[in-house]
Amino acid sequence: MNVPEWWYLVLSAVLFSLGALGLLIRRNPLVMFMCVELMLNAVNLTFVTFSRSLNDIGGQVVVFFVLVVAAAEVTVGLGIIVSILRRKPGTTADDLSLLKG
Amino acid sequence: MTAALLFAQVEKVATPKLDWAATAPLLILCGAALLLLLISSLTTSRPARGTYAVITVLASAFAIGTAGVLWARVTDAERGAFTTAAGALTVDGFSVFFIVVISLGIALSALLADDYLRRENLDGPELYVLMLLSGAGGIVMAMANDLIVVFLGLETLSIALYVMAGFNRRRAESRESAMKYFVLGAFSSAFLLYGIAFIYGATGSTNLGDIAGFLNANTLEHTGLLLGGFALLLVGFGFKASAVPFHVWTPDVYQGAPTPVTAFMASASKAAAFAALLRVFVSTFAEYRLDWQPLIWGIAVLTLVVGSVLAIVQTDVKRMMAYSSISHAGFILVGVQAATAQGVSAALFYVLSYTFMIVGTFGVATLVSGKGDEHHGLEAYRGLSRRRPGLALTFTVFLLAQAGVPLTSGFLAKFYVIGAAVDAHSYALALIAMLSSVVSAFLYLRIVVAMYMTDEEGAEPGPRVRVPLGAGVALGLAVAFTVVVGILPQQVVHWADRAIPVVLASGR
Amino acid sequence: MIAQNIAFGILAASSVLAAIRMVTTKNVVHAALYLVVVLGSVAANYILLAAEFVAVVQLLVYIGAIVVLFLFGVMLTRAKLGHEGELDNDQRGLAAVTALLILGILGYVLVDYFGDDKLPQLNRTHEQLNATRGTGAVGNAIFSTYLIPFEVVSVLLLAALVGAIVLARRD
Repeated sequence: MNVPEWWYLVLSAVLFSLGALGLLIRRNPLVMFMCVELMLNAVNLTFVTFSRSLNDIGGQVVVFFVLVVAAAEVTVGLGIIVSILRRKPGTTADDLSLLKG
Repeated sequence: MTAALLFAQVEKVATPKLDWAATAPLLILCGAALLLLLISSLTTSRPARGTYAVITVLASAFAIGTAGVLWARVTDAERGAFTTAAGALTVDGFSVFFIVVISLGIALSALLADDYLRRENLDGPELYVLMLLSGAGGIVMAMANDLIVVFLGLETLSIALYVMAGFNRRRAESRESAMKYFVLGAFSSAFLLYGIAFIYGATGSTNLGDIAGFLNANTLEHTGLLLGGFALLLVGFGFKASAVPFHVWTPDVYQGAPTPVTAFMASASKAAAFAALLRVFVSTFAEYRLDWQPLIWGIAVLTLVVGSVLAIVQTDVKRMMAYSSISHAGFILVGVQAATAQGVSAALFYVLSYTFMIVGTFGVATLVSGKGDEHHGLEAYRGLSRRRPGLALTFTVFLLAQAGVPLTSGFLAKFYVIGAAVDAHSYALALIAMLSSVVSAFLYLRIVVAMYMTDEEGAEPGPRVRVPLGAGVALGLAVAFTVVVGILPQQVVHWADRAIPVVLASGR
Repeated sequence: MIAQNIAFGILAASSVLAAIRMVTTKNVVHAALYLVVVLGSVAANYILLAAEFVAVVQLLVYIGAIVVLFLFGVMLTRAKLGHEGELDNDQRGLAAVTALLILGILGYVLVDYFGDDKLPQLNRTHEQLNATRGTGAVGNAIFSTYLIPFEVVSVLLLAALVGAIVLARRD
């Protein structure tokens, strides 16, 4: 008897929620960003699990596209973070308060 | 020998048929982006003023031209809509309509950006390259017949937009808005992707045609996964369309981003979000309309109320327009909620007229803000009618159109969506939409009053306002469209009526 | 296949624990290293799910490239390497409630779904089933069914490339 598929799905739901929690409570932009990666990874696990239980290769292929998207997001995101922190080291998300109405 | 053996074993991958005419608009936009990069890296001297903007506008015009050819093909009774590349892209009236809307957004924003970049000393091809690629992503979303293609189109659109929001590197506001947009955007796209995973698990495919086929052929006993997928998808699309409660980024990002980029965000990016929303929900999940309509109903009500009420308390014109763009999203959602052909066509008419109105509005804001992109307070607009009567009149047209005054395209747009809601028996929603349009009329009148009815005695005259050629052309086009369509809407309505999305089986 | 169950248990426990540590640790570098543990466990889960190629790519791209990028980010931004006081913002309670809500909804949806196994059964012959497994199948799918996504990804990378250059350039 294989590992039941829903175990994987619940694991990925837990990881996704932890990522969302981290993004909401952390203030360091780099860590917030790691949390996004965690969420994307949880989704990937869901895709592979469904791919397995549906006997469809599509779910696995999607993971590659998500990987590329994650890599591109990291590149651009780090660029933005670095461009902010280079001018003001130690900035946290709470310090971003120029724009308020 | 081993090499021979290797080659003997190679099986050829059966690559799908690709209809080049169908992908031509995308290829033109991406090709123009590459061309801009080539020109800027191969030429040593600085090219003539406005070269990059002209290339961008020409590329958009070509894209619209090829869209015209496609339109003739898909509206031809014998040929009709079709899918290409193994059912990944659909070419129907709907995709062609959005190719035109998004290309218009690119062209008009590029015209505004031309002078802005010179003024802010940021000259270079990069903004145009990003705009073209971002627009191509939006068109991919509108044509997509597969949820994964929708996701990738959205990411292409967004990643370019994150950078564009932070393009004015010297302004701290611009960098900050990029950061906010980026973090929240990445957060929302994770939700969207989880939604796609749920739909995939529930229906066994990400292809919209296959999903619709599966849902038509089978009755699901447990719809939890599917409904969870709907909710998660709505988070992702709602974020891009800046619908409440996923709107928190909108005022900050619209305010902080360079104004021509704001114009692009409010036009092309919002249009793409609604394109995906309409195709995925209204046509693909038509079978489960009764399950998702209440969700959209709630979002639409919140969006209408929050957008129009919070707009009133703002003092910064860009922020006001951000909230007003939220309330416009609410109106478009009213058309989506109807989930009828009439509702879709009303939403399409709204998206097209809104594109011109909002680009015009932010175009005027670009000019009034002056060097440094700073003067966005209401006081910068005081007495504009004396300093620049033409510009003040232009702005008045856009504001009245946004308020929904008759004889402008904005009035008809609101009229059609509310009519569609009434015909779909959503009376409460129609009433709320009408009330919110009354409330937000106050906001637009406040700006008009500031422009015309302030006596300048003793008041400090605002900054001098220049109207450069590119922006002038963009504003002229936008005014012409707003007024002409406001009086003679038949042709545009006819197009919108024929642009209802269809869902075709992937045929693979 | 008790071994698989045990393996899953260990992997799940380690990934959840590492994820919790990542979210709560006050040290940015530690957070990145905990992320490696999560990503590694997920990769091992892919092997359990018979998706070996995905697992290898996960190791190469995520751990090999993305985490390294994060560490570069820590370096470039001169983030404090030691403990950073007050890493959390003031809305801990609200955030925790939101996260629990998300977990609750997701959990409910998944449990409801497994009330009976209502996975859409795609009727496939044995041969077609074989065509849906293994690395070869992934390659075939990318260049046939998923050709357009593959091309869109190239546009996406171009946008990211131009964007990164724009952001990195000094005034």
